Amino acid sequence: MNWELMWDSVPTLLGGVPVTLELVGLALLFGAVVAFAVAMLRLSGNRIAERAMAAYVFVFRGTPLLVQIFLIYYGLGQFAFVRDSFLWPFLREPFWCAILALTLNTGAYTSEILRGAILSVPLGQVEAARACGMSRTLVFRRIVLPVAIRQMLPAYGNEIILMVKASSLASTITLLEITGIARKVIAQSFAVFEIFIVAGTIYLLLNFLASRAIRYAEWRMTPYLRARG
Amino acid sequence: MHRHPPTNPNAPEAVVIEDLHKRFGELEVLKGVSLTAREGDVITLIGSSGSGKSTLLRCINMLEVPDEGRVVIGGEAIGLKKGRGGRTVPADVRQVDRIRTRLGMVFQNFNLWTHMTILENVIEAPVHVLGVSRAEAIDRARMLLDKVGILSKAESYPIQLSGGQQQRAAIARALAMQPKVMLFDEPTSALDPELVGEVLLVIRQLAEEGNTMILVTHEMGFAREVASEVVFLHQGRIEEQGPPDKVLVNPDSERVRQFLSRHLSGAA
Repeated sequence: MNWELMWDSVPTLLGGVPVTLELVGLALLFGAVVAFAVAMLRLSGNRIAERAMAAYVFVFRGTPLLVQIFLIYYGLGQFAFVRDSFLWPFLREPFWCAILALTLNTGAYTSEILRGAILSVPLGQVEAARACGMSRTLVFRRIVLPVAIRQMLPAYGNEIILMVKASSLASTITLLEITGIARKVIAQSFAVFEIFIVAGTIYLLLNFLASRAIRYAEWRMTPYLRARG
Repeated sequence: MHRHPPTNPNAPEAVVIEDLHKRFGELEVLKGVSLTAREGDVITLIGSSGSGKSTLLRCINMLEVPDEGRVVIGGEAIGLKKGRGGRTVPADVRQVDRIRTRLGMVFQNFNLWTHMTILENVIEAPVHVLGVSRAEAIDRARMLLDKVGILSKAESYPIQLSGGQQQRAAIARALAMQPKVMLFDEPTSALDPELVGEVLLVIRQLAEEGNTMILVTHEMGFAREVASEVVFLHQGRIEEQGPPDKVLVNPDSERVRQFLSRHLSGAA
């Protein structure tokens, strides 16, 4: 074990943290928007929209993220209409291809988490709100969504941690995030074991911070659960 | 013992129900029920489980939409139409929302909003539905919480309260809308026996203040004391109705007699 090499590689690998955080942050942000829209459509009562969104979730949950990244990065450019479209300046960039794949992937998972949380809001609380004369949209905004979001936090925390780890797959399409830089350093030093231990430790640290942040958010948002007893 | 004054036949009609029918699939729960509540009336609906009394109450504020019949609240008939698949639906959901603001409802399981404090529960609908200012709503909410005896719990969350306290909070929440009619759906059925009294005390006070109320209950003794009229439902029809001292003491119907003998301990 080459301790000196490990120590020296730390600043280099930490240089990948901003790209990792950008990938995860943007994908979670866009993914949340996608998830909200998909969950709404799946609960809309419109059969065509419900089927279409169920199909989207089925495909993106049922195929490997790595395959999705390859299909978007290597596949989309084959189509002339994609190359001619205004999206091409984005879609030819590996960074935005990775964002797109991560977004669609987390959007599918998160929409299911949100849908389940919405369905688990007790009917009695909805009825009480309807009985006060609240419109459907007001009930959704004031009662259903606040309860559902709190309900989904633990599962969503899991999803955030999975995304931090999944972002390492972006290294396969040339992105120099933590794993990408690690592979580059290994190619020069052949110290597979040492460098990947450092990379793994950095992910561990990021997820430690993420899980702490999630736990804090949960604590802040559920005073009524804390108050028990 | 205090007795509620009998129905005043000249008081305006608060709730009129005409020939109400409600089916759940094959099961016809209401088979043509008509009922009038005048202002100041306290009508208790009694009957065995499955007799349709809760469904009847829930049809008044359209939590269940009746298949046939009419519901008139304060002179305004709720518009109904045939929707897709032949189901009856409200013709105008905004009318239903508006009428619901005049009908306070108290549920068997309280149904307080768990993510809000008791005070927030009480001001929620006045602020967001009626557009009352927050400060005014809070003033009124504190007054109502004081009235039902749980002002000290204003900043607590529902989970911190006993069942009796939760139900009193739910009553305050319903009163905060200043409803014309209060609907109670078995308000004490989910409570431990020692907590029933505190809730009945609040409801009794509301009855004595002249509020118009329709309540489904299994508390026969309580029904006898607070009701201006008792309605006995059996298999979706009104079997007998009249003043409590008649229906609960010397009913004409053999079914009511049998029912009362089973609930004798409650009527004592």
